[in-house]
Amino acid sequence: MANFQHPFQCLNYTKQQSSSSAGFLIASAGRRLYSYAAANGQCLDVWPKTVQSSSESASEDQVPAEKRRKLSTAPDDQNEESKEKPSTKKAPGNQLPEWTNIPILLTSSDGKHVVAVTADDKCIRVFSLSEDGKLDEISSRTMPKRPSALALTPDGQTILCADKFGDAYSLPLIPGEYIAPAEEAKTFKPAATNLTVHSQRNLQTLKNQITQFEREAQKAASKDGNTDENVASGFEHQLILGHVSLLTDLIAVSLPTDAPVNRNYILTADRDEHIRVSRGLPHSHVIEKYCLGHTSFINKLCVPSWAPQYLISGGGDDFLLLWKWYEGKALQKVTLEGLSQESEISVRGIWAVSVEQPAGSPVQAILVGLEGSSTLLCYTIEEETLKHQDTIQLSGNILDLTGLDSRGSIVVSVDNIRESGSTGAWKSGLEAPQTLLEYFQVTTGQGSLKWNSAGDPLAANINAAGTSAIATDVDDKQKKALDGVLYSGGVLRKKQFGEYQ
Amino acid sequence: MATPPSKRQKREEYRRNLQNQYQAHQSPNVEVAEIKMPQKRFFRQRAHANPFSDHHLEYPISPAHMDWSSHYPAFLDPDTSKTNLAGARKLLKDVEVVDIGCGFGGLLVGLAPLLPETLMVGMEIRTSVLEYVTSRIHALRMQQQKLKSAAAGTGTTTQDSDNAAEQPALEDEVGNTTAVVPGNYENISGIRANTMKFLPNFFDHQQLSKIFVCFPDPHFKARKHKARIVSESLNAEYAYVLRPGGLMYTITDVEEYHYWVLRHFEYQSEEEKAKGGVKDLWERLTDEELAADPCVHVMSVETEESKKVSRNNGNKYVAVFRRKADPEWST
Repeated sequence: MANFQHPFQCLNYTKQQSSSSAGFLIASAGRRLYSYAAANGQCLDVWPKTVQSSSESASEDQVPAEKRRKLSTAPDDQNEESKEKPSTKKAPGNQLPEWTNIPILLTSSDGKHVVAVTADDKCIRVFSLSEDGKLDEISSRTMPKRPSALALTPDGQTILCADKFGDAYSLPLIPGEYIAPAEEAKTFKPAATNLTVHSQRNLQTLKNQITQFEREAQKAASKDGNTDENVASGFEHQLILGHVSLLTDLIAVSLPTDAPVNRNYILTADRDEHIRVSRGLPHSHVIEKYCLGHTSFINKLCVPSWAPQYLISGGGDDFLLLWKWYEGKALQKVTLEGLSQESEISVRGIWAVSVEQPAGSPVQAILVGLEGSSTLLCYTIEEETLKHQDTIQLSGNILDLTGLDSRGSIVVSVDNIRESGSTGAWKSGLEAPQTLLEYFQVTTGQGSLKWNSAGDPLAANINAAGTSAIATDVDDKQKKALDGVLYSGGVLRKKQFGEYQ
Repeated sequence: MATPPSKRQKREEYRRNLQNQYQAHQSPNVEVAEIKMPQKRFFRQRAHANPFSDHHLEYPISPAHMDWSSHYPAFLDPDTSKTNLAGARKLLKDVEVVDIGCGFGGLLVGLAPLLPETLMVGMEIRTSVLEYVTSRIHALRMQQQKLKSAAAGTGTTTQDSDNAAEQPALEDEVGNTTAVVPGNYENISGIRANTMKFLPNFFDHQQLSKIFVCFPDPHFKARKHKARIVSESLNAEYAYVLRPGGLMYTITDVEEYHYWVLRHFEYQSEEEKAKGGVKDLWERLTDEELAADPCVHVMSVETEESKKVSRNNGNKYVAVFRRKADPEWST
């Protein structure tokens, strides 16, 4: 019996200016990255190379592990800790990577670099993309907290990373030589004194704290080992801003002004309904505006490169907001109607595409997909409003899409495993070949635009080749974990808990 | 066998009575002395709240949706047709001073006569404590009304602003005022809020002239430092709501926290300064400037915590920072 294949979690089309090829489609599915030729869907490279897709059978490796706090990146780092806790992941002969999915993927504007985040080890990995589509990992950096969004600055030299702790960091795309700041010898001095704490219990705690530290200091002195647990040390990264909330998205925008130089901004969105407009580096601490108007969490921000004055935002609300973001002004509230039968909807993605067509100017459109929904809404921006143009019906839930700029089309990644409209119900039967990608061609006429499903060797070949298989014997718990990887928007919603829960 | 009523029961009963008293206070026959300040012991709450939790917070969608009308009835715009985005009546002026973590409201009560024409708000995350502040302000306002009408009746005025300014809050041990004070406490109020998350929901860009952070929760453990009310990322938010020239007041009894505050507002080395950051937006006031500022005095003696620290012979560390103008956009 054939297995389910991992669907494509992220899709990204990129084209190198210098190259004469039609560009590449970079995609992530399961724990792997794929590089395809955009012309015909031929698979050019798979990363990591050590894993052979067919030989994978151990079902336990298919599902994300429980949240793990610490992971060593260096293979020779087999210290005491891993001896204490024999890891099933590192069984000899089974060289599986330490992550189970790649939730974030982006390509640099020159098409020479690919940046990906591997989820479970919180690692930002930078790849160079060669002219023949080969992926070559040039760096991996483990962040202190799990990244939730990545962006590149307009100059393409710096990665901006927002994390689930509410902090945003900047790190160079290509890490230079890093000199760790000289660490000061730790001398313990409790912050509390008997002038600041008074109750008997607090005083006792303070006493215990001091004795505890003295004991540890002795231990450290005898071992002379480095007890530093900070995984994020060892490469250059700088805190640029922070929210006291979970950051859900971050984008970097360059806004043309009357001045000869563009103004750079960083836009960040959080779970507590804020969109913050900060200046770009190095003045990211200057907050210019807040765009306030959402009543539930925000999941996605989108500033089209072809209309940088507008921002479209969406999340747990049943509407989108269109902003003139640098004035903090909401222009329009766009109700998302007739899409989902369920009362709670969550926007999965907002994509701005600009695709060329044989006659006339390029088609510029905003596409909006909801979590666990197989319909895709198409809008255009006209006179400071979003105008609904078309609704595309897909064969499965939308996961991601990318515009194939020069071909007047888009490629959409759909969920081949779950039933349309559901984030948890798995299909009972298999169709072969499974539909992982769908291809749509744009047509325009009389001020409206339509997307028509089209057969194309790109989608057909990738669908035929498939990705890696999911074991047939996954149990319900493992299924649930796999669902959680692809559909994580809903957990951001605030629950009506009691006061102190 | 009847057991003594539990603490919770007593509290509920007390608060119910308080509500009834408010009704009674409206009657003109009630004397000033009959209006009692609420008693703190019925409102105590654990001194820590988790700022990362969602709680059950109410907050406006944006500053333009905030209903201040019930907080400052004396400052209502007489034109009833002027309403904000939430349909609430507008005030004649905006709130300008915020006490973050106002606790039992000692600072507000102390500052009220000092800045009688400035609207001030205390923000507190703990519900019972905030309830106390609201009751306290209500009682103070009622007392002032009675005193005012009494003074008008006898024809002698006790409203001498010079006199009152010298003794900002004429409070006795239970917190009763015995004289009419400028502003009649109409300019202070308290709201429940988590400022670490929702400060920009209440206040617009550069709306505030003063922010007070008095005796904040020290969060001694290093693991809890992110919960501190002063941090690099939060200081950027304070800079957003403060106007250039506005002041950020801090006071703590924990020496380590004082240095933490200094570290997060001031550059510690030339190297750090060259790198730049949020500390570009702040400059520390000199000791002379502090001595000349009556707000610093109120902050150091009037708040409940500062009284407690004095009782325990603790130290008080004051630092005040001025918000500088934003850097120019590079062209």
